[in-house]
Amino acid sequence: MASSDDPSRREGRYDRRELIRRAGVGAASVGFAPSFYGPLRFKDRWLKGDLSLITWAHFVPAFDVWLDKTWAVQWGQKNDVDVKVDHILNTLLTARSQAEAAAKNGHDIFFNLSPQPQFEDDVINHNEIVQEVTRKVGKIGRIAHKASYNPRTKKYFGFSDNFVPDPVIWRHDLWNGIGLSPNTWDSVRKAAPKLKAIGHPIGIGQSAELDSNMALCSFLMCFGVFIQDEKHRVTIKSKRAVEALKFMADIYQRGETDEIFGWDPAGNNNFVYSGKGSMIFNAISATRTPEDRGLPFANDLWIWPIPRGPYGRMGYQHVMGSWWIWKFANNKAAAKKFLADLEINYQDAFMASKFYNFPSFPGAMSFSRIRKAVATDRHRPIGKYGVLTTIAQKYTTNPGHPGYANAAFGEMFNKFIIPKMFAQVSQKKMTAQEAVNAADREIKAIYRKWRALKKI
Amino acid sequence: MESFGRALREKGLAYLIVGPFAIVLAFPFYVMFITAFKNQTEFYNPEVTPYWFGKDSPTWANATFLFENTQYPRWLANTAIVGLCVVAITLVLALPAGYALARLAGRVGQSLGVGIFLTYLVPPTLLFIPLFWVITQVNLQNSIWSLVLVYPSFTVPFSTWLLMGFFKTIPKELEDAALVDGASRIKTLTRVVFPISLPGILTVVIFSFSLVVNEFVYAFTFISPSENKMVSTGVYTDLIRGDLPEWGAIMVAALIPSIPLALLYNMFLDRFIAGFTGGAFR
Repeated sequence: MASSDDPSRREGRYDRRELIRRAGVGAASVGFAPSFYGPLRFKDRWLKGDLSLITWAHFVPAFDVWLDKTWAVQWGQKNDVDVKVDHILNTLLTARSQAEAAAKNGHDIFFNLSPQPQFEDDVINHNEIVQEVTRKVGKIGRIAHKASYNPRTKKYFGFSDNFVPDPVIWRHDLWNGIGLSPNTWDSVRKAAPKLKAIGHPIGIGQSAELDSNMALCSFLMCFGVFIQDEKHRVTIKSKRAVEALKFMADIYQRGETDEIFGWDPAGNNNFVYSGKGSMIFNAISATRTPEDRGLPFANDLWIWPIPRGPYGRMGYQHVMGSWWIWKFANNKAAAKKFLADLEINYQDAFMASKFYNFPSFPGAMSFSRIRKAVATDRHRPIGKYGVLTTIAQKYTTNPGHPGYANAAFGEMFNKFIIPKMFAQVSQKKMTAQEAVNAADREIKAIYRKWRALKKI
Repeated sequence: MESFGRALREKGLAYLIVGPFAIVLAFPFYVMFITAFKNQTEFYNPEVTPYWFGKDSPTWANATFLFENTQYPRWLANTAIVGLCVVAITLVLALPAGYALARLAGRVGQSLGVGIFLTYLVPPTLLFIPLFWVITQVNLQNSIWSLVLVYPSFTVPFSTWLLMGFFKTIPKELEDAALVDGASRIKTLTRVVFPISLPGILTVVIFSFSLVVNEFVYAFTFISPSENKMVSTGVYTDLIRGDLPEWGAIMVAALIPSIPLALLYNMFLDRFIAGFTGGAFR
């Protein structure tokens, strides 16, 4: 029996009884600690489950604070689930998702900035979530439906909670100085050399990155060129496409600089922030940052819809928010409820994102309510964000329009075939016809592969 | 006087050649330093960027942001822990392997050495998906120990190859003398071979640690919670928000670990060069 003055105890060694006694005290401490040191993790109960999700580091830091520390925590308390949110840079999401799909292990819920239909076989059918949200707030929006549903397999391969309108952002002071505005693509073509001459070129990216991809696909649609038709047949090879490429090459050669070929998604933002750029395609991150940092030209940054082309005015969204739940997810029930509740209560997300994230279900926050909320913004020119609702309602469509955002389109998009096609012509490495032919061949091969897999 | 003039001419010529190289190589560090202490509104002012401060700089704001709003201290600690563990594992495995290949296996050793080195050349971009699967099987995802497990896969082959060359430069007669005097093989290694090989060992330590600090693909794939990230991934994934890089904080974050590494390289530069060139002619 060890006594209190036993030398072995002084040396930190215990006999079996003492060890059991101490272990008992330790266990009791752990068990009763919450009673003395505060409440359990959530009021009156331990959590029943865990839920892990990974998403991008949102350009509005306040949105991540809201998601991580308000929404996820409150939702977790209400549903008895411990929600863990991880954030990574958006350009790394694709590689991470590929690794998780291959290993069949990772987060329960994954987010990316564009639809990822190539994972259709690795994810659950999200139809149940869509139905639940539809019951609460009304039908899914056309854009979100076509960006997350596969009509061939009748499966929602993702769940879109938001999309981000993609306006043209331009320096009113500079354009005013040359007496033009970016209302039409012809105006842009006329203005480009003049703006370059005064040291403020325009910046439409032709690089292997998301912003260039979105802008150039949108540009093609204004010229009546679509990658695919309603039946998902490749339709890029056309005279209109050749004309569009020549048009953009002319804009580059007379009104842009070669930095547009090396941009990443932040490239066009920095171009504007430096005070050099006079026009870019971007979400409102490009106006919010100058406002937040008090850059001298912040009040001269105007937001307009995409310029009108010979076949109208139509663009992709800047971001097509797409969540999915892996088949290997540990807590599918919680994951489904999390996404459904997020969308049902999307007005908070919209405000936290500073008008960046528009709800994919129009009933979650109606356009009239969005318009009212946007009107409260006091940045100059007053009311400049009001046009976002018009862009979202009238001039925005889904990737893959007029068809669906299917797996073949997704692969084409992820391989940046369209920016590559434009750059080849702008840099005079190919003629417009050769570049269209090359792109057509490459895209058709991708479509053949996915057709053989019965995904389109 | 004449000899002084000649020395000046010779040294002057050397500085004339080395000077421009030094300026070009030091320029990124200069920009990093300036940007680290620059007011963030000045990043976008071409008149003062990147060469000098504007009127609102220098400032501690970027460093304050880094330390108060991110997990940067944790990233530093994680990097140090993983680095030290990987260096230890690398030494434990590469020292005997390099010695064995250099001394005991003859021509077979040469071929094996080349074979081991070739495994170093397989890029992580090919391996990260299968290795991610392995990491999930051993339940180490989102843990820094996953990196301790995987990093030796590229530090050990290179270090083995490097040490193999270095051990070959040590005269075998020294070991024979020790063996004749009654020392065991292990004692010969610890008392004779390893002390002489210090430049090679130091090279392995510094080089392995540098590889760990710089590695990105595995660190990014295996770990997603912010608090468990390494410096290389934390800076890139947490300090760029969408399309908005926090330039100032990024530069502070890059500057801090680069200072001790630069000092380390400079302190042991001669030995480092000796380590790399040790086996060059054998």
